Amino acid sequence: MNPELQRNLWLEASPSRLLLIAGLLMLVFAAASVAPRGLATPSGAALALYWFFAVLWGTRSAAQSVVVEIRERTWDSQKLSSITPWEMVWGKLLGATAANWFGALLCLPVVLVHAARNAGPASAFTYGVILLSLGIFAQSVALLSSLVLIRRNTGNWRLDIFLCQVAGLGAAFTYYSLWSSVSAFERSGTSSIDWWGHAFNLSSFHLVSLLLFLAWALTGCWRAMRAELRFANGPYVWLAYLLYSAVYCAGFQSWIGHRVNMPASASPLGAKLALAGLSLLAATYSMAFLEPKDPVRFRWLGEQVRAGRVHKAFLALDCWMLSYAATLMVGVVLAFVWAASGQSALIVIAVLGFLTRDVAIFVLMQGRAGGKGDFAALGILGALYLLMPTLLAGLHLQALNFLVVPMGLPGAIAAWAEGAACAYLAFSSIKR
Amino acid sequence: MIEIRELIFEYPGHRALAGITLDIIKGSITALVGPNGAGKTTLLRCMAALETPYAGQVAIDGLDTRASPRAIHAGLGYLPDFFGLYDALSVRRCLLYAARAHGIAAAAAPGAAESAAAKVGLADRMEQAAGALSRGLRQRLAIAQTIVHQPKVLLLDEPAAGLDPQARRDLSNLLLSLRDSGMTLVVSSHILAELEDYCDRMVIVDHGRIAGGESIALKSGARLRIRLASPRADLKDFLEGQGVDILESGPDSAVVSLAADANTRANLLAELVRCGFAVADFTEDQRALEDLYFAQTGGRS
Repeated sequence: MNPELQRNLWLEASPSRLLLIAGLLMLVFAAASVAPRGLATPSGAALALYWFFAVLWGTRSAAQSVVVEIRERTWDSQKLSSITPWEMVWGKLLGATAANWFGALLCLPVVLVHAARNAGPASAFTYGVILLSLGIFAQSVALLSSLVLIRRNTGNWRLDIFLCQVAGLGAAFTYYSLWSSVSAFERSGTSSIDWWGHAFNLSSFHLVSLLLFLAWALTGCWRAMRAELRFANGPYVWLAYLLYSAVYCAGFQSWIGHRVNMPASASPLGAKLALAGLSLLAATYSMAFLEPKDPVRFRWLGEQVRAGRVHKAFLALDCWMLSYAATLMVGVVLAFVWAASGQSALIVIAVLGFLTRDVAIFVLMQGRAGGKGDFAALGILGALYLLMPTLLAGLHLQALNFLVVPMGLPGAIAAWAEGAACAYLAFSSIKR
Repeated sequence: MIEIRELIFEYPGHRALAGITLDIIKGSITALVGPNGAGKTTLLRCMAALETPYAGQVAIDGLDTRASPRAIHAGLGYLPDFFGLYDALSVRRCLLYAARAHGIAAAAAPGAAESAAAKVGLADRMEQAAGALSRGLRQRLAIAQTIVHQPKVLLLDEPAAGLDPQARRDLSNLLLSLRDSGMTLVVSSHILAELEDYCDRMVIVDHGRIAGGESIALKSGARLRIRLASPRADLKDFLEGQGVDILESGPDSAVVSLAADANTRANLLAELVRCGFAVADFTEDQRALEDLYFAQTGGRS
């Protein structure tokens, strides 16, 4: 057996703990079955408890699986072990959540028997796959977040675990909301989705999407674990994810085009590029916040480039750097595609300028305030995007909105001027 | 066994290692000493391939830490200064996990766990929970976990911190037995006097550099301090005539390095008395490493 799984089972799935969980669940189901009609049903209680065990508590267990090792000072010995990254990932993912899955898997049959009676075995089977995938997806996202967060070495374990749990819960609720929306669409007579010009069954599309994002989350865990275990990762897996994410989002252009009144200037190509650009923009901001921005590492990268070892530097680039470069490239192409419309192209150029400024703020603030710098940077961005427009409106200075909102030629110039100034300050802080 | 070349390591705003070059001989015990913040722990972590240096190279048994970190991990044991144990697990399960995690096959793991426990004197506590062990026994369990796969190189960061005198003596004996079994050990410590019991060489790290530029070989055998009740100008000549290695000498006292066996010492004392030297003191000098240390660091500590 995988030694990491074995150790976690010793620690997390003791017979007394499992007996306690089983006993409590039996009591809840018994109480729900004799409760007055309308108050509670065994299947309703089982679904709620499945969410509790697999998602609410499961994300916490998954997030703790690495963070607690660091807190308890056992992580170094794990890093020095011969356990492979993939063994470590599934050993933690299934082992640290063993008690959660024990409880969740006792609840699942109750939910599925009810679903099979109401909607038939096929629907119940799909629902079962969705619930299982959802639990693993939420826990994978929590584990992945913890593996990214620990590189920042904040020392605030409680906050780190909470943030990772929130990330896992966010992923689960987002996807479950999308899944739940399927029935709403079906009620309105829509049972298919148009993706890249092809019609797909809505529920099948959702299921396949969930499984693919689950695969990416697990790949992310494996990759982050490789980095922790001192393997060199290289940029290609992240670039493949960016490409997947951009292509996935761009595919919704035709579906959105049928439902939203697009401006005449918005060509299908431009709309696809805009959707792809938005996914890349989200990836850049996420990774710029999550990844450590170590000035020593930046200096090392600079030295490699100066010494002509460009390929070595490329292989060592951080995810946020790759995402930023990809966003810039897609943005520039989009600006050319929308050049005829003028205003839209200028907005794209302004967005790229503000992105440059914001990334530079993340780098600058982490250089100045260490692990807390990212939160300081978030505060600054919150002030720039939320407080400043309100302030300008309050002072009747809306004419200056171009300083903080991407709009028109002045907006594009201002955005790039701010971007250049912040980038200069960030570079200066790295050189020190 | 361990080759370090121009090693530089930086934390943001602080250069922890400033170009260290060092060779550590196979089958030796090397002491890493130096003031707090000198860079000892960072150096050990770079050797363990747990940190990537800014520049320079560390090779363990011919493997570069940057190119082959996992291969190095497989043949290395590292005990950090602040280590953790799985308190809820028994000693047996802690060691079984360590054995399996270091790639020992499931069938061989129980034997490896028993063997490691026996080496550190925990064979009779296999079913006790790690959390219920005393500080000294926890230290022993941690060391057993690091040697369960019989690594070629063992790195120990402050292993004697917090141990009582008996536990320290046991630790010394354990380290010597590990060296005699062919292991190469690097031990970081503040307690200079006891390093002398088991170390072959000493490396003084100060401000991220090696004081004196290289490791210092420690004399094998005892360092004896001889004090006379009545000064004699010919004390030095007499000692030279006996063929002992004189480290310090004056008319009323001398410090000599001598083979550790009791007969050699007894013979020297008998000769001193026979030649009319009024010997008031003939004792082992425990301050050898301290003297070396302060000589290299200019008295700062």
